[in-house]
Amino acid sequence: MRKYWELLISQIKVDTAYIAWYWADMFSSILRLFIMYFFWAAVFQHKHDLSDISFESMITYVVLAMIMESYITGAGTMLAHNIKNGDIALELLKPYDYLTKLQFMDLGSKVSGFVRASIPVFLLGFFFADVQLPATPGGFLLFIISFMIGICIGAQVDLIIGVFAFWTVNIWGLRVLREAVAKFFSGALVPLTLFPDWFQAISQYLPFQSMIYVPVAIYTGQIPAGKEAYLSVLTQCVWLIITFISVRIIWSQAIKKVTIFGG
Amino acid sequence: MWQKIKRYSFLYTKYFTSHLKVMLEYKGDFFIGMLSVLVQQLTAIFFLKIVFDHIEALKGWTFYQILFIYAVAFLGRAVHHIFFDNLWTVGWQYIRSGTFDRLLLRPVNPLFQIISERVQQDGFGQLLIGIFILHTAASHLHIQWGVSSVFMLLLFILSSGIIFVAINLFFITFSFWMIDSLPLVVSMFQFSDFARYPVNIYPKAITLIITWIIPYGFTAFYPAAYFFENQYYSVLALLTPVVSLITMVLSYLFWNRGVKSFSSTGS
Repeated sequence: MRKYWELLISQIKVDTAYIAWYWADMFSSILRLFIMYFFWAAVFQHKHDLSDISFESMITYVVLAMIMESYITGAGTMLAHNIKNGDIALELLKPYDYLTKLQFMDLGSKVSGFVRASIPVFLLGFFFADVQLPATPGGFLLFIISFMIGICIGAQVDLIIGVFAFWTVNIWGLRVLREAVAKFFSGALVPLTLFPDWFQAISQYLPFQSMIYVPVAIYTGQIPAGKEAYLSVLTQCVWLIITFISVRIIWSQAIKKVTIFGG
Repeated sequence: MWQKIKRYSFLYTKYFTSHLKVMLEYKGDFFIGMLSVLVQQLTAIFFLKIVFDHIEALKGWTFYQILFIYAVAFLGRAVHHIFFDNLWTVGWQYIRSGTFDRLLLRPVNPLFQIISERVQQDGFGQLLIGIFILHTAASHLHIQWGVSSVFMLLLFILSSGIIFVAINLFFITFSFWMIDSLPLVVSMFQFSDFARYPVNIYPKAITLIITWIIPYGFTAFYPAAYFFENQYYSVLALLTPVVSLITMVLSYLFWNRGVKSFSSTGS
């Protein structure tokens, strides 16, 4: 276990070494916050609520969803990269579980991302853009748990896409495709309750809403605390198990391919 | 001069046909790339649609007007995306790795070489969806198309593309002093998203920035507003080609300065 923590910490160090990216990330996130705020302010110009969601609640949702969105991708890019340049063969020889290693390094990146983008955006949103605090301390605790599970599901889905680098060259396209699909079904842009009914029905059977909508809606109280919230977190756990097993299955298939090539 | 144009267009055709060959070699990837960009743009439109299902107008602008602005933005972006995508990579692919020295040795403009070394096929997806939603939005807005308005539209789209290129070129030029200015380019590029909505939803300061300092406003909102018969914005829209020309010239001069300072330290 210790070696994985070391990897996590080394990744944080690598990230902080690139100071220019630190400022760029923060700046871009803040600009996005601006666009979002003024767009929604214009939407609510003559309205008190949008299908029962108040302006404050909406802005809290979209800002948190934006923060969450940066955490649901990650390890897959590195994986695809290693497959492409052939490093994968060496990685497999090393005395760690490669997929676990990737996820810990990715976690390191997320920790530094939390400091460089999430905290400034949240603070700015809180002080200047009507972002609210969670209604109850219990709700906040459940949000943290749900948030963690959401990140893990995102990482698994990202790894699945990454493994596809064994079969296709244009991994960038596949990533953009996945990001676009995830953006929608996860509720990264607007709360899923605003969507037409048929769309909400489909998204119930996909893992994406467990990545963003569930944690954020628990935070804003759109998923009421209590039985409904617990049930949502339970569904998240089920998705985490399903995606985790899928990654391992696809991975073991792909590995066979490497060993065939390797002779 | 004429000789030079002939030579460069000959070279570009050569580069372009070799890209085409690569594209045809990897057909599957070509379609994945196109499809992905297509879906990406569709999500943006779908988002707009969802919001407009619950409101009638956004500060006086209708759904189809904003859709039209989106279309202009997509088309301008497509020009940039297909033909000038390599500008993003100047820092890490040319300067950090030292490849830029190689370009300087050849008897062809280095900027031209960088640009022609890549054609980004995924941009064609953007082009397709741009044309499609432009058509949809225009027919709902009852825009009368004549020779002059079609000409203006094409001119605006080209100018919009040039503004995208010029701003990227300007900020990537800093790579000559700081090795890779990609973070700078990426953060400045974020300003372009502001142009997707009518400027009257923003406070004055932001409008000022995206109109006169980093003129992304001219990549989408102003040129689109030309077709909405709004007196004030139509006049500003006519400035679009002028703005694109000025930004391009400024960026190119700045680029040349960068190249000069690079070669004086490099050798």
